[in-house]
Amino acid sequence: MTPSFDDFVAEQVTPLLRYATVLTCDPHLAQDVVQEVLLRAQQKWDRIGSVDLPHAYVKRMVTNEYLSWRRRRAAKDVALCMTTLESVTPPVADKTHHYDEREAMLQRIAKLPRKQRAAVVLRYYENYDDSEIAQMLGCAEGTVRSHISRALATLRMEHTLEPAGVGSRLGEGLS
Amino acid sequence: MNDTEQRIKEALGLLAERTPHPGPTLNALKRKRKRQRNNVFLIATAGMAAVVVLIFAGVVASNRYAPPNPNDAAAALVQGDGKGVPFKYAPHWLPDGFVESLRATNMAPTRVWGPAGATPYSNPSVVIRAHGEMPDVRGWDPARVRGLEAWVQVRGDAASVVWKAQDVLDVSVNGVADAREVALRVAESVRADAKITHTPPFELEGRYAELVRGTAPDSWHSSLAWNAVSVQVATAKPELPAPNEPVTVRGKQGVRNGNTVAVQDGGLWISATASAWSDELVELVNKVEIVDRPDTGWIGKGI
Repeated sequence: MTPSFDDFVAEQVTPLLRYATVLTCDPHLAQDVVQEVLLRAQQKWDRIGSVDLPHAYVKRMVTNEYLSWRRRRAAKDVALCMTTLESVTPPVADKTHHYDEREAMLQRIAKLPRKQRAAVVLRYYENYDDSEIAQMLGCAEGTVRSHISRALATLRMEHTLEPAGVGSRLGEGLS
Repeated sequence: MNDTEQRIKEALGLLAERTPHPGPTLNALKRKRKRQRNNVFLIATAGMAAVVVLIFAGVVASNRYAPPNPNDAAAALVQGDGKGVPFKYAPHWLPDGFVESLRATNMAPTRVWGPAGATPYSNPSVVIRAHGEMPDVRGWDPARVRGLEAWVQVRGDAASVVWKAQDVLDVSVNGVADAREVALRVAESVRADAKITHTPPFELEGRYAELVRGTAPDSWHSSLAWNAVSVQVATAKPELPAPNEPVTVRGKQGVRNGNTVAVQDGGLWISATASAWSDELVELVNKVEIVDRPDTGWIGKGI
């Protein structure tokens, strides 16, 4: 039985927002993307609601919307803005070094090219395999491996080059 | 899984914890869907009207028919009676239970929210204004609103946030705990929306009521400052302690009480008051035009 659009939204809006937040590294952009996608999904819900996994279909729409986002802020990839993130949902107090390392890694992920970032999110957050990522991104499996390999190389290199203690300073001066 | 991959997983998990609350997204979606439905209806109506006009022009009135003024056609696509004042911005988050109680257009376009039934601007309240230029923010704390430079001032349980979007916007909260946090959260939720307009309840020689306040769509008070005279239209009778003198106004029997004249017309009370009595008060009340469909549906509504 086809679920109603309203039921679908009630059930899926939070998972979609979570996925979009991780994908975009920007809660505001995530809200815009999810809004846009749900509005379009509603217009063709007869078709989307009847596929096997409507949530997977809509998730793919979110991915595509992000990758083809026409309203890129300042016409460039948006670097993660900790102030913006924390204004929406303040981070849980955690002053350990471990927390700083995760923040530092977030900064580096946010600077990755969009497709590489999407591939990384799908692999390490969604636990997709190469074929699933390829299907989601609409590219070959080899391309997926290439995206992930390059992303890992970048993240690993920046991690190696990073001076000790940089993590604790990353929030400063960012906007 | 190596160390880098483990750190990536942990970092993405941290980011997921910062997922925004779905409320603003659901509200915005609801509005857009409603607007979309209205647009479809308006387009269909406009299309049918166009067909009727074309048939009339081509068949019945061929040579004598003058085409309609394009402005008239455009007016048909505007909600209400086309006299809407643009508000341009709307919040998508407010403290629980807050409803709108006032709209003013005399200086900076202003909207006020508070608990249902409360007097506008009483505590607690949220006020959003659009200014023409940046106010003096010397001594205010720097902040960020949607990535834009902003300034915050906190005074006890009140806080104001000012930032420059397309216009200079100002969110003020009063009488709430964590005023700074609430003001910033409201400010973060403000979005531009060109379709939010407001049709004031009355007009006087081309000027519209500047302020409307109330507690429900059928319980409101509107006013316009006309030189030294305050012209008012309200759903309730103004307070006029005895003695009252009868006076003819708008072709009906009204009352004069000191420097105030008032009359009930079409279920509404129309009045004018000044510091001294003059016959101009009666003339002004006579000239008040009530709009066909005053926009009061927003009164007492949340977001």
